Amino acid sequence: MSGVPETFAVATHGLSMRYGRETALADVDLRVPEGSVYVLIGANGAGKSTAMKVLLNLERPDAGRAEVFGLDTGAHGPEVRAQVGYIPESHEPDYPWMTCGRLLRHVAAHYPAWDHAYAAQLVDVFGVRLDRKIGTLSKGETRRLQFVLALAHRPPLLLLDEPTDGLDPLMRNRTLAQLAEHLADSPTTVMIATHHVAEVESLADHVGVLREGRLVAEMTRDDLRRTVLRYRVEVPEGWQPPPELRIAGLRRSPGGREVQGTLVGEESDVTARFTAAGAAVRDVTPLTLEEAALALLAEEGTP
Amino acid sequence: MNDGTLHATPRWREVALEQIRFVGLRLRREALVAAAVVGIVTLIIAVDIARGSAETWFDSDEWIGIAFFSFLFPFAVWRREKRFGPAFLWTLPVDRRHLALTRVLAGWVWLMTALAFFMAWQHVLAILSRVAGAEIVPPIAIIGATAMYLLGSALVLGLRHPLRWLLGTAGVFFLLGTLNEALGRTTSGQSRMFSSSEVLRWLVYGPYGIDTLLSSGRFHTAMSDATTVWRAHPQLAWATTVILWLLISFAALWAAASRHREQR
Repeated sequence: MSGVPETFAVATHGLSMRYGRETALADVDLRVPEGSVYVLIGANGAGKSTAMKVLLNLERPDAGRAEVFGLDTGAHGPEVRAQVGYIPESHEPDYPWMTCGRLLRHVAAHYPAWDHAYAAQLVDVFGVRLDRKIGTLSKGETRRLQFVLALAHRPPLLLLDEPTDGLDPLMRNRTLAQLAEHLADSPTTVMIATHHVAEVESLADHVGVLREGRLVAEMTRDDLRRTVLRYRVEVPEGWQPPPELRIAGLRRSPGGREVQGTLVGEESDVTARFTAAGAAVRDVTPLTLEEAALALLAEEGTP
Repeated sequence: MNDGTLHATPRWREVALEQIRFVGLRLRREALVAAAVVGIVTLIIAVDIARGSAETWFDSDEWIGIAFFSFLFPFAVWRREKRFGPAFLWTLPVDRRHLALTRVLAGWVWLMTALAFFMAWQHVLAILSRVAGAEIVPPIAIIGATAMYLLGSALVLGLRHPLRWLLGTAGVFFLLGTLNEALGRTTSGQSRMFSSSEVLRWLVYGPYGIDTLLSSGRFHTAMSDATTVWRAHPQLAWATTVILWLLISFAALWAAASRHREQR
């Protein structure tokens, strides 16, 4: 422990929001440390996009509040948005009649921190043709333009909602490489909402898991690696896991003497619980981020 | 991160200038169509001037045209812009209500530019045609057009489907007018549409109506009975009407822009 208190780029306090009868967010307390790459994982409709819109003050929560760099998003909407580079989930172009170059100039006029030289470099890297009308762009081309718009003012916070959606594999790799380069050059906190976890695995150092609007887990990548593990366990014949051992993805060997599954918790605690339940842990293996995320998403829902 | 390292929000002047440029670009297509129409009309009037029969071009109630044009102008300014929900416009680092009002201001700048061209065009034609008093009095045209533009902007900003509301309202009045006509209750010489509703008639021809706002309530007849042009100078009734309509327009616009205010 360094003793230096952790500061958060994003902090939400009891954030709740409903769309009619649907719960989008339920008492969500996000903590995104400054300088981190935080991956917010969840199925479609889990509330990831809504959380980002609340942070930009595009949506008003029914309860709770959110802060970006200590600024209340409701009271300081414009100041908050000046710190944010945002890629929305939607690919629908807003000004189809405009050329890409003109849109860049339009957006640049609203960001005093806009770095024109960097914008030109990004245009080159992402292969954006400035003379193209926005209405004629494909999904992937629109996404690349959105990346240029989001990065060119070197925002302290990037909110990326399904950022690789619509990109071909080649461009996806190039985009993620550029994002990594950007993070190396500019002090940036990144919050990525995605269900394509594997794509951003190399960047992530913090993880939050949203399930049906609830934040069911939030931890560092290291904690995730340490506490979400796959166990191979030898069990007596006819063994049934006790309720306190919530095993995700439980699989039994053909003979029924061995089970495999993912559990959340400190390895020593889990091993002790297995032992207490009459089973013996034979093997423990770490998971990829995607596997761990799937386990966390399934954990509470596992009957 | 401390306050010193946070990025600044843009200055209002920068935003306003960009919005003016943006609206100018957006209206380019409409401007080209308008220029083509003006060119054709100018050609026809030129022929009539040469024949000595150009005064018929000045016998219509121009204020109706300008009022309609100004009222509908915001529809072009906000064309295809997503105004409700988490639209791109609202992701910009500017107070949302201020941004909406700045866009309205940008549109007004272009409306005034168009009006200036129109008045100059009409002035030149009036001189060439030698129709006495065929000039538009600028303050009346500017203030009247402004009030109509602000009302139109309030409609576009405040309603998700302004065109549907507008067409729906027009449809209701048209039906009432048709009903009145069928019942034989129209007043001779009056517009059947306007006579269908006392409220509408008061709104247009009442002491503080649009007619007074845009024409100062008096028409000057020049050359022939058919020639009606703006001529009258501002008077107390007109000033009262202007203040009333501008207050209503600004209030409506503020209320409409407030639908997009920051979610506090």
